[in-house]
Amino acid sequence: MHRKFNILISVFILASMLLAACGGGQQAASTEPEVLRVWIQWGDNPQQIQELFDKYMATSGIKVEVTAPLEEDKILPSLTGSEPPDVLVLSGGDLVKSYAKEGLVTELSDIIKSGGIDLSDFFEAPLDQCKSGDQILCLPWGTDMYALFWNKDMFEAAGLDPETPPATMEELAEFADKMTKIGPDGKVEQVGFLPDQGWDHSDLYVRMFGGFWYSDDGTQLTANSQAMIDSLTWQQQFYTKYNADDVLALSSGWADAYMSADYPFYTGKMAMYVDGEWMTGPNFISAFKPEASYGVAPFPPPADHQERANTAVVQGPVAVIPAGAKNKDASAKLLAWMMSPEIVAEEFCFNANLPTSKKAATDPCFTENPKFKVFVDLMASPNATYIITTPISLEFNDAYGLVFEQVVHTGADPKPLLDELQADFEPKLQEALK
Amino acid sequence: MEELQIKRKWTWPPKLPKWSHRERVNFKTGMLFLLPWTIGFLVFTLYPMVASFLYSFTIYHPRQPNEWIGLQNYANLLADDKFWNSLSNTFYMVAIGVPLTLLTSFFCAVLLNLKVRGQSIYRVIYFLPSIVPTVASTILWLWILNPQTGILNTLLGYIGIQGPNWMSNPDWSKPGLILLGMWGMGGTIVIYLSGLQDVPVSLLEAAELDGASWWQRLWYVTIPMVSPITLFNLITGVIAMFQYFAQAYVFRGTHDLGYPLNSTLFYSIYLYQNGFLWLKMGYASAMAWVLFIVILICTLLLLKVSERFTYYAG
Repeated sequence: MHRKFNILISVFILASMLLAACGGGQQAASTEPEVLRVWIQWGDNPQQIQELFDKYMATSGIKVEVTAPLEEDKILPSLTGSEPPDVLVLSGGDLVKSYAKEGLVTELSDIIKSGGIDLSDFFEAPLDQCKSGDQILCLPWGTDMYALFWNKDMFEAAGLDPETPPATMEELAEFADKMTKIGPDGKVEQVGFLPDQGWDHSDLYVRMFGGFWYSDDGTQLTANSQAMIDSLTWQQQFYTKYNADDVLALSSGWADAYMSADYPFYTGKMAMYVDGEWMTGPNFISAFKPEASYGVAPFPPPADHQERANTAVVQGPVAVIPAGAKNKDASAKLLAWMMSPEIVAEEFCFNANLPTSKKAATDPCFTENPKFKVFVDLMASPNATYIITTPISLEFNDAYGLVFEQVVHTGADPKPLLDELQADFEPKLQEALK
Repeated sequence: MEELQIKRKWTWPPKLPKWSHRERVNFKTGMLFLLPWTIGFLVFTLYPMVASFLYSFTIYHPRQPNEWIGLQNYANLLADDKFWNSLSNTFYMVAIGVPLTLLTSFFCAVLLNLKVRGQSIYRVIYFLPSIVPTVASTILWLWILNPQTGILNTLLGYIGIQGPNWMSNPDWSKPGLILLGMWGMGGTIVIYLSGLQDVPVSLLEAAELDGASWWQRLWYVTIPMVSPITLFNLITGVIAMFQYFAQAYVFRGTHDLGYPLNSTLFYSIYLYQNGFLWLKMGYASAMAWVLFIVILICTLLLLKVSERFTYYAG
């Protein structure tokens, strides 16, 4: 009797454990969802984003749960799993083509028509990130652009006019040299310009040299083109003119200080660098070093190619609807609401990112800050461009990153390395595009 | 309580002897208690293992049927430079990191076995770092190893050595990681400590009486007596080091995996990159099974070689 009772208890405990493990995921499928889930990879101010999406409830009666920010590793499992979010906002469009190749995202042409989304209202450069032939794989939601930031105090200390940024890339190198200081112990203690502070901006420099690593239609790899060689050679000088090891030692740990008052741009360790429009908003320079005296200007072109002035590269968040989303109609309506000029204006006014809607861009909040306006103008410039991506982008970018390190950080010759890269990946690209 | 005695002749199909009611009930209760572990094992270990074995012969597609390509993944692996690079990086850690850690932890255990005042406090201090979570300790070491402002290079500077660029110099990134591993070797020290307690005092006394110095006692008595512990630590260390991942993943900070210059691209990191970043699950599964075979061969080799050097007491 005693033993039977013990066995019964054990079975009962086991059964309840199993039920608990399995029962969590069950939800009654209904035609009209009560809750939609939006996942956003970036998350500068999650609370504000949730408040924004609470407004959707007023117009549609559907509650939207926002999860932001997201770790990179959560994205792929969410897209391949059985319960993806209803709308997913990625920080960048570089993976969208890879996802589309595996059938993980929904093609949006029909949704755009049925949701009444006006494609002509989008700025061209950010929208181009999402196009693949005739297909539209995503829609940009706010975007980022990059320009040259310079520390006016450091300019003055070096005898340069603090109000005049360099007009050409050659001049930039000269200015940088004037502002790079070697300390009494022989080590670099201040740099004038770091081409890859934060992350690799090869996409901008290579455009300035007149090329890219893909052809314009994304069907050919041009990794060893002259523009690529020039871009890497130009970037190399900022490390190899001085002791590259020293520069690396100086700049290690700078990335961690990005969201603090110790960032080298604020502490006088780095005079110029390339960064995005969010720096001019309320969450960055104004928050960490409000008294900083700095300037922003479009990145200068090479001296013999003034026609490339105002070339800037767009790279920003894009919204996709996962292929496994349970209720595509509901997702489509939510997406259309997100893309409306009023919502775009409200969200990106607050967040100090660039509005991807032309109508939203007329909102005075984007033009009243002259430093921010630099970016708005860049986005509207005819030379504004985007980063071309392909299904092999991730693997290629990783391999390019290694070549970049070898050339820029250790002074290797770019040509043979780029030739090898081209030989390795051109067949892979052709295979992937089949 | 009666003991379960199963006497069987090997027949096919297997004929279990007749059990009494009590034996049967005992058996069923035992199985019931094993059930949680069994289910966990089947679902989270055996099923993924079999699945990954099958995936390794395919190109994996998340939402479409997988394409069968036979041994192509394995062939591509052998032709892949990064595969060999990651294997050699991992071998570096196994061949240098594990013996170094063993040596220093044995040395520390011997020191911590000395009868000095505050012995228990020292033991706690040496053990404490091993309970700091992996990610937290790696981030801590990113600060310690910072070439300009980190403690390590500052201390080296006091004795006139210019510390290397631990984080951006490919020659020094792995030694930096080894240092991080050695800081957290408390677990190995404790195991050695317990082994040292088992060294028969009579043997040590006899050696002392015969005029052996402390070094000779260490070399000829203590080390052989703890050799089973050494073997255990060596094999578990090797198996763990072949799967080195978390520290390298955090150590690269905001840079690409493998920074600098693919010097921290260990086998598991490359596996992760292939499987979870590039969605090449078939390829990653092939990598996983190759690693399994590599670790198996290494372990068997170690066991064979160590037979001569291990003395089992009693």
